[in-house]
Amino acid sequence: MSNAVAELLARHDRPDLNFRRLLVGAVALAILVLLSASVATMILLSQSQDITRWVNHTYQAEHVVADMRVLIARDESARRGYLITHDGVYMNAYRESATALPRELERFGALTADNPRQQDAEARLQPLITAKLNEQANSLQAAANDARGQIDPATLIRENRASALQIRDALNAMMAEEGRLLSERTEAQAVNATMLLAVVLSSSVLVALLAIGAFLLVRRYAADLDQSQTALKVLNAGLEDEVGRRTADLTRANEEIQRFAYIVSHDLRSPLVNVMGFTAELETAAKPLRELVARVKAEAPALLTRQATEAVELDLPESITFIRSSTQKMDRLINAILRLSREGRRNLTAEPVDMAAVLQGVIASLKQQTEARGASIAIEGPLPDLVNDRLAVEQVFSNVVENALKYLKPGRSGRIVIRGRTEGAMRLYEVEDNGRGIDAKDHERVFELFRRAGAQDQPGEGIGLAHVRALVHRLGGTITVASELDRGATFRICLPEVLAKA
Amino acid sequence: MTSHYPVTIVMIEDDEGHARLIERNIRRAGISNNVRHFSDGTTALDYLFNGSDGPTMNGPALILLDLNLPDMSGTDILAKIKSQPKLKRTPVVVLTTTDDKTEIQRCYDLGANVYVTKPVDYEAFADAIRQLGLFISVIQLPEVEA
Repeated sequence: MSNAVAELLARHDRPDLNFRRLLVGAVALAILVLLSASVATMILLSQSQDITRWVNHTYQAEHVVADMRVLIARDESARRGYLITHDGVYMNAYRESATALPRELERFGALTADNPRQQDAEARLQPLITAKLNEQANSLQAAANDARGQIDPATLIRENRASALQIRDALNAMMAEEGRLLSERTEAQAVNATMLLAVVLSSSVLVALLAIGAFLLVRRYAADLDQSQTALKVLNAGLEDEVGRRTADLTRANEEIQRFAYIVSHDLRSPLVNVMGFTAELETAAKPLRELVARVKAEAPALLTRQATEAVELDLPESITFIRSSTQKMDRLINAILRLSREGRRNLTAEPVDMAAVLQGVIASLKQQTEARGASIAIEGPLPDLVNDRLAVEQVFSNVVENALKYLKPGRSGRIVIRGRTEGAMRLYEVEDNGRGIDAKDHERVFELFRRAGAQDQPGEGIGLAHVRALVHRLGGTITVASELDRGATFRICLPEVLAKA
Repeated sequence: MTSHYPVTIVMIEDDEGHARLIERNIRRAGISNNVRHFSDGTTALDYLFNGSDGPTMNGPALILLDLNLPDMSGTDILAKIKSQPKLKRTPVVVLTTTDDKTEIQRCYDLGANVYVTKPVDYEAFADAIRQLGLFISVIQLPEVEA
């Protein structure tokens, strides 16, 4: 089944990654395109505005030039009217135009400050106009002074033909320049408008393409997602089955091991009864032999060999003693296996457990040993309570605290501290001692069956902690040790607050 | 003892060593009754049910039963003995290595009269057998109906 998972992941992971890259790339591209399109549009628009302003400007300048033409024509005709009729109306009209003309010229200069050609033209026109105005003013003055009509108006009317032509040419040149600028700018405006249209059109097309692409990608992604989800559903269902099967397998294996341990320990016991029994029989049989040897020694020492004496008096008892101690040890080991297997088969029942009371009980049961070793056991702070199997919890703590007491450092007054705290759904208890400690390499070993660590100066078979760990695991918890040689040990027991239903 | 027949001790025990040790200790306890030893369930049942000198046909008997037998479970033998009308009053002493609480209860439920665990400690074992001998010497066995 795990192969199937790997296969599914392999099948769906790689294209997914590519797809995601593609999607991110497409989105980035779309953003980039839209951004550049809008920037281009903005630039083109502001350019268009500029161009329009300049076109307007050109129109203004043309207008001013046209004004000047009109003014020039008008003041000439007003001057002539006055010279002929001496009517004040013409004089006023003339003055009006004559004062307006330099103003207009000045305006033109200001308008075309950016154009050196027009500036030149203005500079050329300025003295011409000044001269013309002076000339006109002189002729008008002469006419005004000639009260008796001595001067023929025709002589006064004759104007300077050359300067008039120069003025006309200058004005025409100005007009032509502005016309040139106008056509130039209008053309630019047309180009700008075309470009704007192109940009808008192309970005619209691009956006449309991207939208189509995004739609296709999303549709494919959704299809992929659908497919994965279906596959996952199938897989999940399979996994549940698998977990169920595995759990059943494990339960069966566990039961088999328990039964095996039970049968083995029983079957081992049977021959052990014989070994013990016949050893005792042997001892009983050896007794009359020993008495016989003693009698022979006293009554007929010549019959006795040294080997016979040694065999009966030394070898036989020694052999029997060794057989005895070995079988006793074997019996203890078998009993331990039996107890573990029985403990493993015992039904656990969850009930509220007052941990302070449990630990007080443990401490009380170890009172004699504690006093004999001159040690102290203290509970530090409140202990969180459990809803768990009371007997198992009691056995765990009783074993751990007894161990702490057992492996104190000689010559150092023993101090054992028990504390607990809540960590989520788990309750963590620590049993800390200042005893002889456990070398780091033995931290795992001490929990193994029939294994012990450090100096073997205390009675025991290496069962207690194996038993404790088996119990803690059954309760759904963990037990670890933190320790350094000669620096004491801290056993951390982590148990679920509420025993999970098996 | 009103019986005209001496009580036969029927020992069903597959381990020869255990059988020897049990017999020796019974003898040491001063019991001189005949001991019939069977090392498997089939022949033992055959003797109990059909034997011409077996408890069904003849005289009273006391059964020492080991639970771990090669061919069948001791509790099956116990059940068979206790369901046979002529045999059901015959006292059965279960003598085995098993000290499992549920097994003990099961044996008593099936009608076992005494349950003795074979201790590995030989002194305790010998002691148990001797007390059993004392028990054998004082118990009143029921009449076997002809």
